[in-house]
Amino acid sequence: MARALVEDVVDPRGVACITYNNECAIELETRLARLGIHTSDRCFIGTVHSFALNQVIMPYARCIPGLLPPEFRVADTAERRTAVETAYRAVFGDQFDPHERWRFAEEKRRCDIDRTLQAWRARNPELASFIEAYEADLRRRGLIDFDDMPLIAFRMIQSRPWIREALRARFPIIFVDEYQDLGHALHELVLLLCFEGGMRLFAVGDADQSIYGFAGANPELLQSLLARPGVRAVRLRFNYRSGAKIIRASLGALGEERDYRGPDGAPEGDLAFWKVKGGHDAQAGAIATTILPKLLERHPHEEVAILYRAAWLGDKIAAALDEKAIPYVRTNGNALIKRSSRLARFVENCAAWVAGGWRDADPPYARLLGQALALVFGGRASDAEEQTVSRQLISFLHSGVGAGESAHAWLQRFSRELLPPWRAVARNPQHEWEVLAELISKTDPAQDKDMPLNIFAGRTEGSGRVSLSTLHSAKGREFDAAILYGMNADDIPSHRDRKSPAALREARRLFYVGVTRPRKELAIVFQEGNHSPWVAELSRRSKGEA
Amino acid sequence: MGKSNLLYAVRLVLDATLPDAARQLKLTDFWDGCDLAANPVIEVHLDFAAFDDDDALVALLTDFRTAADPTVARLSYVYRKKAEVAGAPQSSEDCEFLVYGGGDEARAVQPRVRRRIAIDLLDALRDAEGQLGSWRASPLRPLLEDAVAAVNRAELEGVASDLETATRKLEGFPSIQALEASLRSGILDLAGNAHDIDARLRFAPADPLRLFRAIAMYIDGGKRTLSEASLGSANVALIALKLAEFAWRRAKNERNYSLLSIEEPEAHLHPQLQRAVFDKLFNASDPAQALIVTSHSPTLAAVAPLRSIVQLRAQAGATCAYSLAQLPVTPDELDDIERYLTATRSELLFARGVLFVEGDAEEALVPVFADALGRNLDRLGITVCNVAGVNFSPYVKLAVSLGLPFAVITDWDPLDGTKVPLGLTRVLDIHDDLCFVTGQPKLTLDDRAHWEKSDFEAFSAAWAKFGYFLNDRTFEIAVAATPGLRTALLDILNEQKFGKTRTDRIAAWRAGTPVEPAYLLAMIADIGKGRLSAKLAKKMPLGVTPPPYISAAIAFVADRV
Repeated sequence: MARALVEDVVDPRGVACITYNNECAIELETRLARLGIHTSDRCFIGTVHSFALNQVIMPYARCIPGLLPPEFRVADTAERRTAVETAYRAVFGDQFDPHERWRFAEEKRRCDIDRTLQAWRARNPELASFIEAYEADLRRRGLIDFDDMPLIAFRMIQSRPWIREALRARFPIIFVDEYQDLGHALHELVLLLCFEGGMRLFAVGDADQSIYGFAGANPELLQSLLARPGVRAVRLRFNYRSGAKIIRASLGALGEERDYRGPDGAPEGDLAFWKVKGGHDAQAGAIATTILPKLLERHPHEEVAILYRAAWLGDKIAAALDEKAIPYVRTNGNALIKRSSRLARFVENCAAWVAGGWRDADPPYARLLGQALALVFGGRASDAEEQTVSRQLISFLHSGVGAGESAHAWLQRFSRELLPPWRAVARNPQHEWEVLAELISKTDPAQDKDMPLNIFAGRTEGSGRVSLSTLHSAKGREFDAAILYGMNADDIPSHRDRKSPAALREARRLFYVGVTRPRKELAIVFQEGNHSPWVAELSRRSKGEA
Repeated sequence: MGKSNLLYAVRLVLDATLPDAARQLKLTDFWDGCDLAANPVIEVHLDFAAFDDDDALVALLTDFRTAADPTVARLSYVYRKKAEVAGAPQSSEDCEFLVYGGGDEARAVQPRVRRRIAIDLLDALRDAEGQLGSWRASPLRPLLEDAVAAVNRAELEGVASDLETATRKLEGFPSIQALEASLRSGILDLAGNAHDIDARLRFAPADPLRLFRAIAMYIDGGKRTLSEASLGSANVALIALKLAEFAWRRAKNERNYSLLSIEEPEAHLHPQLQRAVFDKLFNASDPAQALIVTSHSPTLAAVAPLRSIVQLRAQAGATCAYSLAQLPVTPDELDDIERYLTATRSELLFARGVLFVEGDAEEALVPVFADALGRNLDRLGITVCNVAGVNFSPYVKLAVSLGLPFAVITDWDPLDGTKVPLGLTRVLDIHDDLCFVTGQPKLTLDDRAHWEKSDFEAFSAAWAKFGYFLNDRTFEIAVAATPGLRTALLDILNEQKFGKTRTDRIAAWRAGTPVEPAYLLAMIADIGKGRLSAKLAKKMPLGVTPPPYISAAIAFVADRV
């Protein structure tokens, strides 16, 4: 991307990059910044939803009369449920569970993107009516939902060639990261923009890492892209991340033949199997007392990750680390600060500024203001609006410096002083203000969860924190060392995974994703005598056995 | 509001070099007659169309498409009272300005849009020498910097050392040494040692990288500097340099679109140069560059493409702009009009009202009649447009597009009485053609049928209300039939000492024989219509009334200018 921006695409045109989630987008932004490329109007990085919303719907929807209500916003869960129920009553009118039926409708909605095709009404016409009634009900109340975003964008681009042209003019190249995870809506958008609209496509994907089947991802879309004329496939054989030993082990983890290898002269890396007597609690204890401290002797905190299958396992490991006072950050749903939430990261940055960052402009105030404007106005704001938000933000931040507030008290003041005026003028249809209430309850002193603001801000002594993450959330990230926690026979694959061959394959790919996270050291933790069968295969392959 | 204000309005939106302090207007910038308590607003909207062919412009403008028409992008400037100020604004601090796009105040215009779609104002034709003389302002600077950057360092140092040698030689002359020493001691005397600036007399700065600042443009084979050239030539050089600078900035991808504005170049360019230079500029079709020239010069107006002309006219205390971009005429008609404007030095474009006539005789006599009515057409700014025939339509469309009050003077041309008179059809056709311009509905078939059945009296009386004045004879007969005029006209003809045939004819006419138009016109042609009208004007007896339909036409336009 950096090369395309510097050498290929001429200012003021730029490039767009679509990533699986906000976290990947932030990671890309950080890496580009290191190369001296800063996000600007020339460079869009974001999810397919944010692309649809910010590059298609927000600028152009008003040019299509009657498409969307003038002041639309994104529906919350309760509003979506109401719409499902209203639509169900109108279409079916029986006593069965609307939400049960909606799960099928949702799947159709995510797969049948092009509604001008006959298949939309030909296959499951009653679901099509259900979906249309649902969307109509949302619109009546000035709402859209998340799945609407790429669908609306698709329809706009399909029906208005000038929008296609405008997008191509602004972004002659579109990059897509993790193509295998992005689902039908993105695939159809890509076909429209690149194969009919003349945008150049650069897609990166690995079908072996497709682990989001539940969210509509389909590794076959990547394969079908490869089969199209005009597409050149470049197969990447070199794994630049992991040591040779880990690469060999990963093939055992995947259980497929791949000719992946590391570059010549790369370090071997290290692979360790930790048999623990006892279940999940014992394994968590072993990690906190033995396995992790050993790794921390060789690697900084932020370069070590503990990966597990489900959030409840994360709770166990978090408790074990708390006991040993090892600082950590959780990147899954139970995290204090969700990495995927822009508001939460903004709050964290503000805390960092108040807790001392103001001295060396780390983070710089200009960045905080930029984040605030993006959160409130979804990008563009007039000078007057910018001044107002800036005045409110700086006066709040300034009053916190040296005030000695705890995280909880500070967050409450944040919620009291900034939220009401910002909510009142907010134009960003994709708001997440409830994140703040969540942060407040997660720092509740009554439950002994409050902490000093500098800890909340991650400005602890020493160098950072260990990452705790589910395997799913760890995708796309890398660390010097990774500990796979709970790799037991009945956990991976689980009883549920064994129910269908497709589910079993996806679980195996999930295991593979975990194994390929570390650069140098991989530690696999399991119950003695009860290891996952895939651990055994991995072990065999790592020793060079067939 | 004048032309300079219009250009300033464009700068408020686009000019990247305009500081915010200048964008913050003053209360005095509101129109004098407006009531500040009514919260007046100054709005400037610039619409960009047809940018969809240029990807770079699309990338810059696509966020600012208007909701009503996505092929048009709009950038706007607004100056108004701040929302939180109660009552009338007391000072300019009570007001704020906004620059936004797409008709949506939330869509701020990023600085790079203004940088890349740039406006350059060439108001400096008055001061071409100053511009060319100052290093910072000179359009030569970026071009030279670029050219010199391409020279390799060693070569540049060679030049520097050659100049150093020359300088040393110069410093070797005792008189120069003495002068330098005396100047230095003078400076030291004033400033003291602490501020010694080490002043030297030399050909060029010794630093090879600063060397090129000493490069200047010379004329006449290098004998004289450009600033010694005549003002006209200096201005031509300045325009050429500016254009080169813009082309260079585009080549460097610093900008994607240039809006070059030149204010009243006629004051500083000879008419011949105006024609030559602007003929070239107007016809250089560079899609990435627009040219705005403000002018009073008929010479410039004559070479400007007709559809590019925008006329500003004061009307009832306001300024109205009339654009000819959409003038609904065919390419052939356009050529005709442009030829006509060139021949008449664009008189029509600068007029305040027009009388359209069919031929030379009317053209010569109508001004005389107007004088007789006490309404001097020149003083009123009314021009008589001779369409040399009956094809009024393109010219009338032009007048209507310019918002000019007009009257059409034409003949009834009844033919043999079995067909609809030509003059009647002509008037209805002109009316229908004008509907293109005014947006009014055309005549319905029923309307037309109704009018076609009407007689001369009814028709001419009805259409005189709209500025169409019909004559049931021909113009010459009408003149010859006007009491008082006839004698004056025949007197003048008689003074010409024509041959026997003509003299006899004149005598017969005097005696009461009906005047034959063909002979009359031939005689008028021999005298020359200009001379005739001058003579007639002198001979015109007081109290003579011109033919009534002419008087009515003159009054119609004169009352409306």
